[in-house]
Amino acid sequence: MSQPVRAGRVGQVPALLGAAGLVAVAVALELAPRLGLVPAEFMPPTSTILAELARQLQRPEFWVALRDTLVTWGIGLGIAVAAGTVAGVVIGTVPGLRAATSSTIEFLRPIPSVALIPLAVLLYGARIQSTLMLVIYASFWQMLVQVLHGVVDVDPVARDTARSYRLGLFARIRYLVWPTALPYVVTGVRLAATVALILTITGELIIGTPGLGKEIAVASESNAVPPMYALVLVTGLLGVTANLAFRAAERRVLAWHPAIRVEAAAAL
Amino acid sequence: MLAVRGLRKVYEGHGRRVEAIGDLTFTVGAGEFACVVGPSGCGKTTLLRCVAGLLPPTAGQIEVDGRPVSGPPRGLALVFQEYGRSLFPWLRVRDNVELPLRSARVPRGRRRDLVSEALASVGLGDVHHAYPWQLSGGMQQRVAIARAVAYQPRVLLMDEPFAAVDAQTRADLEDLIRSVWQRFGVTLLFVTHDIDEAVYLGQRVIMLSAAPTHVAEDLPIDLPVERDQLTTRADARFTELRGHVYAQIQAAKRAEPSEV
Amino acid sequence: MSGAFRRAGLVLGLPVVLFVVWWFASYDSKDFYRPPLHKILEAFRDTWFGERMVQDVLPSLIRLGIGYAAALAVGVTLGVAIGSARWLRALLEPVLEFLRAIPPPVLVPIVILLAGIEDRMKVIVIVSGAVWPVLLNTVEGVRAVDEVLADTCRSYRIRGLARLRHLVLRSASPQIMTGARQALAIAIILMVISEMFAANNGLGFLVVQFQRSFQVTEMWSGVLLLGLIGVALSLAFRFVDRRVLRWYYGLRAVERQPK
Repeated sequence: MSQPVRAGRVGQVPALLGAAGLVAVAVALELAPRLGLVPAEFMPPTSTILAELARQLQRPEFWVALRDTLVTWGIGLGIAVAAGTVAGVVIGTVPGLRAATSSTIEFLRPIPSVALIPLAVLLYGARIQSTLMLVIYASFWQMLVQVLHGVVDVDPVARDTARSYRLGLFARIRYLVWPTALPYVVTGVRLAATVALILTITGELIIGTPGLGKEIAVASESNAVPPMYALVLVTGLLGVTANLAFRAAERRVLAWHPAIRVEAAAAL
Repeated sequence: MLAVRGLRKVYEGHGRRVEAIGDLTFTVGAGEFACVVGPSGCGKTTLLRCVAGLLPPTAGQIEVDGRPVSGPPRGLALVFQEYGRSLFPWLRVRDNVELPLRSARVPRGRRRDLVSEALASVGLGDVHHAYPWQLSGGMQQRVAIARAVAYQPRVLLMDEPFAAVDAQTRADLEDLIRSVWQRFGVTLLFVTHDIDEAVYLGQRVIMLSAAPTHVAEDLPIDLPVERDQLTTRADARFTELRGHVYAQIQAAKRAEPSEV
Repeated sequence: MSGAFRRAGLVLGLPVVLFVVWWFASYDSKDFYRPPLHKILEAFRDTWFGERMVQDVLPSLIRLGIGYAAALAVGVTLGVAIGSARWLRALLEPVLEFLRAIPPPVLVPIVILLAGIEDRMKVIVIVSGAVWPVLLNTVEGVRAVDEVLADTCRSYRIRGLARLRHLVLRSASPQIMTGARQALAIAIILMVISEMFAANNGLGFLVVQFQRSFQVTEMWSGVLLLGLIGVALSLAFRFVDRRVLRWYYGLRAVERQPK
């Protein structure tokens, strides 16, 4: 979902309204349990959650869990991005490969990564490899699809020119394919990162790999309600931060890139 | 049929005040074909939008068929310059033309007849089932005109409708609109920046001044009713009228009153 | 004729090759964790057809269907409402972006807290995760309605419900379908997870049970079934998408052609 760039002075009103919206929701969630609209033991007021969050930030276990999540996320994303880029460039450039693999890709892509959970647990238990299996599987497809779109988007005139100059495969990739595909690669990384975070947390939640997800599961099982909400808040902030950071990076990369491209609407 | 009295439109925003229209007053009688020309930025589109009820005027009054305009009035149709964007891409040509009639609750049988007649009158009898984006630019504008015609409006407004098509298509569409006008007897207010087109099409040419806009001159066109791209444009009287309008517009650009 | 053969060859070629390789490579496998393919297929046939289909698979799919439909209804309705009012959009945008960034599976413990572990919980979990892509994409689609088209509707006095139906929803439909596609993937994930996390019946529950009791072949067959469901739903979605947005794909194809 892309946002238009807002001009300076005009942009202040929507920003103020947005902040007001956040505040209003926070206030509503503060009052609802206090007024008895929702049972307070199932949904504590905002102040309680924020106090718990502050407390969590002082626990070393929290920071260890956060680090574990970031490490799993980073490794999984890195492998998926690398594999997806290579596969995408190869499949997109080698003639005939795209047509041959198209049906296989379209068959494997919609397989829900959560279907692999029992398999992962069987093979790797609760170690990081099982969550990585999920993360890499799901993020790989995101990346592959985007890179393929990028490689295919090469201007036909430029491609014919390269061919007439008899540029070899590697030269073509370097001078023709890569610059065109770069915006797609960047978008692919952003989408893959979002998916990777979701599956990292999922793996930790369900399989029990160490991380924020596991902390949430532990809190849920021991009925520690405020910590659970506080941790969920953290995962949300993590997601928002990552999204903003990647969008900023995307804008940076695309600022100098002259190509106009359309973000391919890829499935999760 | 159409009366504009003391129309004034001021745009305010971002710390600037733009008086697009100063004081416009004119009338168009029932069944008349009036063209509006003026220098760039003289508020021609603003005028049409006010008449169509899409834009509230800052001051002045507009009456369509005797009733004051405070929102889009009944019995009025507007044809835009951007034909591609004014047609619904998810509807076929036939459904595009039919939509305003459905909304006006015209019974189905009558709708079908109106649609067929309208499409035939613009020469598109055989593309009922196509999507607009499958057609050329000129054909798309014909669909927009057919849609306006099927609606059976009393007043038809056209905002530089042929500016975005090529010259040959424009000539065909000019003749088309004259034949549509004669056939259906609709009151037509036609805005254009093309002086030749205004003189060729209209029974009157209303010339606007530069901003703040007012009517610089209201010129009757005494060319014969039957007009033809080849002979009419070569006619001496056409050249005379055309030259007069051109001089008036140039003077308006320099903000000088010209000899009338 | 040969064109059709060639196309069929391309579509089926690699999958068939992979299947055959898997079949023969695993034929004599004694690996406990990687049973032979033919045994998996046998287990597939024995496990899933019959009682389990009715008791577990069907309820799972029905919950998925209800949850997904509810997510679409809520998402589109709220999306239209929010997208049509600029101040509302500005007000809610940060809140919605934050809620959308919360990884959907994390909502499972929260919803369990609020709604127990019965069917109701599972449907609510699906809705709570799947509604966001629909809602946010609808807002975006409604926001981007073409101005000229909107003016056309105004001048022809097409208002209210007719305007909503003919202009807003249809104009936003490509964007809404994008959201619906993402929502489907999320819904499937949540259906499985809600059953793995806390349930006493359902497809996800069964697969986890097989894994915990080391019924490996049955577990593999369950994984296979989940995969097939994912693929089948994706194909069904594609089919619907291609029909509903036939005009859109045609339009894009025309735009891409060099003039």
